[in-house]
Amino acid sequence: MIVIKRRFSWVWSGIIGLTIIFSLVWTLFPIFWMFSTSLKSNIDIFKVPPSLWPSQITYGNYENLGGGITPIWTFFTNSVITSLGTLVLAVVLATFAGYALSRMKFVLRKPILMGVLVTQMFPLVVLLIPLYLVFLKANLLNTYTGLILAFTSFTLPFSIWMIKGFVDSVPVEIEQAAMVDGCSRMQAMIRVCLPLIVPGIVATSVFAFLDAWNNLLFPLVLVNDIGMKTLPPGMIIAFGGEFKHDWGGMMAASTIVAVPVIIVFVLLQRYLVAGMTSGSVKG
Amino acid sequence: MLPIGKFFSARNNKKKRYNYESANKLAMTLIIPSMLVMGFVIIYPLLRAFYLSFFNYKLTRPDQFSFSLTDNYARIINDQVFWIAFKNTIVFTFFTVAIGLLLGLIMAIALDQLSQRLEGLRGLVLVPWVIPGIVVGYLFMYIFDVEVGILNYTLQQLGIIQDYLPWLMRDQLAMIAIIVAHVWNQAPFYMLMFAVSLKAIPEDVKEAAYVEGASRWQEFFHVTFPYLKGTFVIASLLMVIRNFNNFPIIFTMTGGGPVYSTTTSVIYIYRKAFEQFDLGYASAIGIVWVVILLLISVIYVRSLQKDF
Repeated sequence: MIVIKRRFSWVWSGIIGLTIIFSLVWTLFPIFWMFSTSLKSNIDIFKVPPSLWPSQITYGNYENLGGGITPIWTFFTNSVITSLGTLVLAVVLATFAGYALSRMKFVLRKPILMGVLVTQMFPLVVLLIPLYLVFLKANLLNTYTGLILAFTSFTLPFSIWMIKGFVDSVPVEIEQAAMVDGCSRMQAMIRVCLPLIVPGIVATSVFAFLDAWNNLLFPLVLVNDIGMKTLPPGMIIAFGGEFKHDWGGMMAASTIVAVPVIIVFVLLQRYLVAGMTSGSVKG
Repeated sequence: MLPIGKFFSARNNKKKRYNYESANKLAMTLIIPSMLVMGFVIIYPLLRAFYLSFFNYKLTRPDQFSFSLTDNYARIINDQVFWIAFKNTIVFTFFTVAIGLLLGLIMAIALDQLSQRLEGLRGLVLVPWVIPGIVVGYLFMYIFDVEVGILNYTLQQLGIIQDYLPWLMRDQLAMIAIIVAHVWNQAPFYMLMFAVSLKAIPEDVKEAAYVEGASRWQEFFHVTFPYLKGTFVIASLLMVIRNFNNFPIIFTMTGGGPVYSTTTSVIYIYRKAFEQFDLGYASAIGIVWVVILLLISVIYVRSLQKDF
């Protein structure tokens, strides 16, 4: 088929080209600037005019983060443990629930579905007040279990919604065929349907992980023992008050927090793009 | 459910094992674990917050614990800071969403013209969306800093400003700064949403517009835009809700200051609850926000169900 296209226009192409360049600079410059500053010595940071790249690369900003008031590797470990815990808990629960909501008819299905959608929109800070009181009583403050449960409150509704969307897209006939061939209901789900939605489960896992990794509010309130803090509240302690102008250290810590996320995103981008839109576009 | 499913379950009516759709027991076992967790960390806290909102409950003064149906809510009406925070939240949300939508749309249209070989660039533009809020906050605090901030230096070199501006220390400038940081963080989301809908526009419709003599502008407003309308509504409602609840970037960049000029409702609730430990009053403000957000959510869910 011949598609008739508009004639080539220099003006239009110029506008598009400039817009693309602007988009890239706008997007990437702050990230580059963060990384570049993290490698600068203080002399370079306060130099006028500022230079794009350090005159001499130093790793001092990273080395200083390890000890003293900023045990960043402790924060890092805590972040990894709680984020992975949230991922496992949220994804296992969401896979079962999402599957049931997509495939089965049962009492309360509609209200539960509506509830899942609406609870994503609650202001977390409101839930946090009673949660703090409950955790105080149940001795869950300053524990991994407590943090994982709290992170899950944020992640689970969205995860359920995503998994349901992915199960919706698998034709139900495949499972029916499996059941005719002698699979039980559970076997049909685990052996036939789940393998088909692996990409969806990967995407959901990454989002659950990122949600927990990025969360500042919950650990800020639910953890006051410095040895149990995750990266975001740890950064607040490290760079609040008198250390506010340790720009090099701040950017080094920011890089450490951001790099795992960027790596995960770049590696799994194909899966994530589907997930980013599914939560909202698919009805 | 597809018609074939109905046919199937009807045919196998006698053998219950094959009844595909109705499986109450199994469905319940699958769903109950999730409901328990959500009950513990969402539903129960919400009800408890509602309950707390009727009490004078300060962690620092446990002796003054007392019930009053209206005290906290009456206090909200007369609380000037609440209304400042309310106004700030509206201003902040409106501008972040409006600018984000516009920028996302422009980026989506421009990047849509890229050839297949350069598709990777589109992925690059999405990166800010996954950067943690706290990093965005500190990064832009640095960029907007009055002395070492690269922004002041650049603006001065370009001749746009004479003297360095104390961005984060002056009311309206601080608001602009936090809006810019959020737009940077969120524009990729809008871009992605628009990119997906742009892909869904059939080529022949655009072709027809061209053959009929439509200019590029006319093509955009009369052909492309109607296809994007649904995305516009959904994306903006979703992000309005999200920005109403946004915390980390504002908290790190300005902490709600100077004075109250960037204090949004979430920051205000946080400060009331966890810095002044006025839990009853903070819960009451929270409940007011839940009601406002629920109203917006209802509109959101309705538009999801409507086929644009």
